[in-house]
Amino acid sequence: MNRISLLLAATAVLTIASPSALAAQPGSALLDTYHAAAMKEEPGFRDFSARRGEQFFHAKHGDTSCASCHTDNPKAGGKHAKTGKAIEPLAPVANAKRLSDAAKVEKWFKRNCNDVLQRACTAREKGDFVAWLVSVK
Amino acid sequence: MKTILVWDLPLRLFHWLFAFSFAAAWLTAESDEWLSLHAFFGYLMLGLIGFRLVWGLVGSRYARFSSFLYGPRAGLDYLRASLTGHAARHLGHNPAGSQAVYLLLGLGLLAGFSGLFVQGGEEQHGATAGAFGYVVGNLIKEGHGFLANLMLLVVFAHLAGVALESWLHKENLARSMVTGLKAAEPGTPAARPNRLIGLLLLAAVTAFGAGWFFYAWHEPVERMGGHDDAAREAPPVAFVGKTLPESALWQEECGSCHLAFHPSLLPARSWQSLLAGQDRHFRDDLGLEAATVAKLLAFAVPNSAEQHASEAAWKINRSVPADATPLRITETPYWVKKHREIAAADWKNPKVKSKANCAACHQDAEAGTYEDAAMRIPR
Repeated sequence: MNRISLLLAATAVLTIASPSALAAQPGSALLDTYHAAAMKEEPGFRDFSARRGEQFFHAKHGDTSCASCHTDNPKAGGKHAKTGKAIEPLAPVANAKRLSDAAKVEKWFKRNCNDVLQRACTAREKGDFVAWLVSVK
Repeated sequence: MKTILVWDLPLRLFHWLFAFSFAAAWLTAESDEWLSLHAFFGYLMLGLIGFRLVWGLVGSRYARFSSFLYGPRAGLDYLRASLTGHAARHLGHNPAGSQAVYLLLGLGLLAGFSGLFVQGGEEQHGATAGAFGYVVGNLIKEGHGFLANLMLLVVFAHLAGVALESWLHKENLARSMVTGLKAAEPGTPAARPNRLIGLLLLAAVTAFGAGWFFYAWHEPVERMGGHDDAAREAPPVAFVGKTLPESALWQEECGSCHLAFHPSLLPARSWQSLLAGQDRHFRDDLGLEAATVAKLLAFAVPNSAEQHASEAAWKINRSVPADATPLRITETPYWVKKHREIAAADWKNPKVKSKANCAACHQDAEAGTYEDAAMRIPR
């Protein structure tokens, strides 16, 4: 069994134990996709890290970070830095719609990585970030 | 000489309510923000004139038209006599004052009815909504304003006449219109007081006012999708025009970063250009799928500024030169003109922040209707 399977098994146990949990762990299919992509991109890649995902979220690039709009708390709503438009919370625990539509996740990675990093994000960065969001309780 | 009742209660109430409604309508014409109040005073005035016409037939002695049926010539003759100090005193309306009564009633009717058509044409609101388009509504508005100006002139003439007569005959005519009493030779017939009808008139006006403000305050704000907070602070929004088409996809794709500006706020060519350049959307690559772009265009083009009769759509479209393709609503000449007088401090207000934040002041920005009465600058 690889680590992902172990992780899934562990979360499955937690899911059954938790009364409010959903049937399928949000983001698991996404993580599988990013895992396969990361294996291709980085020969030495082994697994995602929620910790790295969290650091990535808070890391400053010039003046901005992901948290500039999304706030430091992934369970809180944010605000578009320029237009002030409200942004719903990122963590699936606070917003069940998050990570439920892979195309949408990709659309926002494309826009936001370009905005914050001035480049596309790597599969590892995306996977780390999703792993962290899923881990937020 | 003894004191008798000349002006019955309904007539006195009519007089002062008519004066008040005209003055209030005049003042509330100043800003679009007060349009619903302006319309209220217009309707009130029409209702009052309707009452006066009936009262002129069935009212007490001095209220009846038959007691002051003077032509314009008699009015002029009386005016000339007044100016030379030879005019005879009249207990009821004198021949010159009668001209003011007829002119004010007639002009009030014309101004009121023309207002209904302005509202129907320009705003697509009220009793005549949809009867015709913006152009005709705008033309009638010129006439409406002219009639109101003329009416104000007659009011001034009336006031001057009252002052002159009061001075000539050493009696306070304005006070008589409050108390209803005037000095008369013994044996002169007095007016019936008609207190009950006066009270009924007052009750009708009060009920109309209360009903209007309930209607203006609650229901339309709900209908416009105003949020609870906004509704509580909302100005009266009495009239709501046609709702504009909505699209869930448009809301979703355009509304996640900024207000989903309604397509009726820019010409079709602007939306085509914006969506063709969606990979360079004000320096952002939106990364939209071709199928999504096609669906967005299918909503935007048939609902662009050329296609809607709402005031904002019509005026924006007319203001944009044929060879220009503005990519921002804030670049259109109409937008610029309409927002020229907004103070710099209001733009800097954290609640406003950006010129793209239409919803900061326009409660119905999401719906695209930009009703005059739904506008309020946050302080």
